[in-house]
Amino acid sequence: MTGRPSFQRQLEELQRDMVAMGTRVEEVIQQAVTALLDRDQETARQIIAGDDYFDQRELELERRCLSLVALQQPVASDLRLLGAALKIITDLERMADHAQAIAKSTLRLGTEPFIKPLIDIPLMARLARGMVHDALTAYISQNEALARQMIARDEELDRLYKQVFHDLLEFMVEDRRTIPQASQLLFIAAHLERIGDHATNIGEWVIYMITGVRSLMNN
Amino acid sequence: MTTATTVAVPATGQSGPPRAGGSEAGPEPIIRVQNLSLWYGPVQALKNVSMEIRPRRVTAIIGPSGCGKSTFLKTLNRMISFVPSVRTEGRVLVDNEDILAPHIDLVALRSYVGMVFQKPNPFPKSIFENVAFGPRLRGIHDRARLAEIVERSLRQAALWDEVKDRLNHPALYLSGGQQQRLCIARALAVDPQIILMDEPASALDPAATAKLEDLLQQLENDYTVIIVTHNMQQAARVSAETAFFLDGELIEFDATDRIFTQPRDPRTEAYVTGRFG
Repeated sequence: MTGRPSFQRQLEELQRDMVAMGTRVEEVIQQAVTALLDRDQETARQIIAGDDYFDQRELELERRCLSLVALQQPVASDLRLLGAALKIITDLERMADHAQAIAKSTLRLGTEPFIKPLIDIPLMARLARGMVHDALTAYISQNEALARQMIARDEELDRLYKQVFHDLLEFMVEDRRTIPQASQLLFIAAHLERIGDHATNIGEWVIYMITGVRSLMNN
Repeated sequence: MTTATTVAVPATGQSGPPRAGGSEAGPEPIIRVQNLSLWYGPVQALKNVSMEIRPRRVTAIIGPSGCGKSTFLKTLNRMISFVPSVRTEGRVLVDNEDILAPHIDLVALRSYVGMVFQKPNPFPKSIFENVAFGPRLRGIHDRARLAEIVERSLRQAALWDEVKDRLNHPALYLSGGQQQRLCIARALAVDPQIILMDEPASALDPAATAKLEDLLQQLENDYTVIIVTHNMQQAARVSAETAFFLDGELIEFDATDRIFTQPRDPRTEAYVTGRFG
């Protein structure tokens, strides 16, 4: 890579900062689910207050992408990298929004005991977070195989979501008093399922970036 | 070579030579280059180039200095024959006629395949006489007929409105961008089907370049335009298809959109992204 070193450096810095944002997204998903399980209202409040960070990062990284497009006229793999970056930034911010929404549900749930021990939701959280981690790893290391393998795991997340949905529906049908709590848990499961979809989107953009072929794998 | 304006339909279907856009059906090629090699004395400048250029679209030729792109362009109307030491192999079929054959009528060929150069080169004559020059050579002397051709050509070259009130002024009084469009009008005046352009905007300022690029897109409706350019963004903006040359070889020829979003060959990728060249 001899030509255009300054452009290359800016692309690398952009990717590095995107991965830094992505790492924070991973962390906040973990924190949101831990706060839920621990009934930790204080941490949930902090997560909600911290969402501004992700909004600011989204705007700042988008601006840098658009500047590079305008000033450097990227083509071919550089263009695909920047096109993918613009979309991935949005997915990252959306995932952070879902983590924040989980924190809001945690506040609404209060400290009342759970109607049943939470099993599938922590499983979903672990799976979703692993997908986000692998999506970012696939992005930074340009690893198509990892992206595909990560996308395949979204099916398991969807399956768990359906199971949680049916379980909670049964609770609500049997005992109306569970509705306030069960509906919040249902929202939380839906947020985790959506995080998996965003990770899948990132995986699809990584595949596009590497191969030039855009295909929708799941959803 | 005749100046017939219909595009000959080949007897058989296509196979083999690269045609941009893959297998997509479209108009039959107006130019078929078959295994073209060219030497300047002992130096080989083109190596076994085969490609098919389809009519009525802009084809851009890109590549680093010395890659053979200008040589290739000049072969298409035999301008290359001015160089004494040139030797060629292979065929260049324009409307199914091999223009490298010895009996070719070069005057007729160069009317049919016009050329516009890097630097505007109007004759030191009036605007009118520049455009009327070719038709006069071809035996048209009727003043009304000439005036008609001059107006049509200047309109097609998007210059008419700027010069219609001063057709008798010297062409050299025009700005660089206007002079270049005048040269295009001069080429159009002899009813070409194909127009070759060698870096036509490299001596023009951005505003004149934008006008020229806009003109290229209009010409595409009626003419086959082949443009050599160092400016890759210009190739991307104006052309439907792009050919990438390197060291005398045609490396890749495809839809321009494809070349600039996902080129197939790593050498094309390296060149268009500015990593070499």
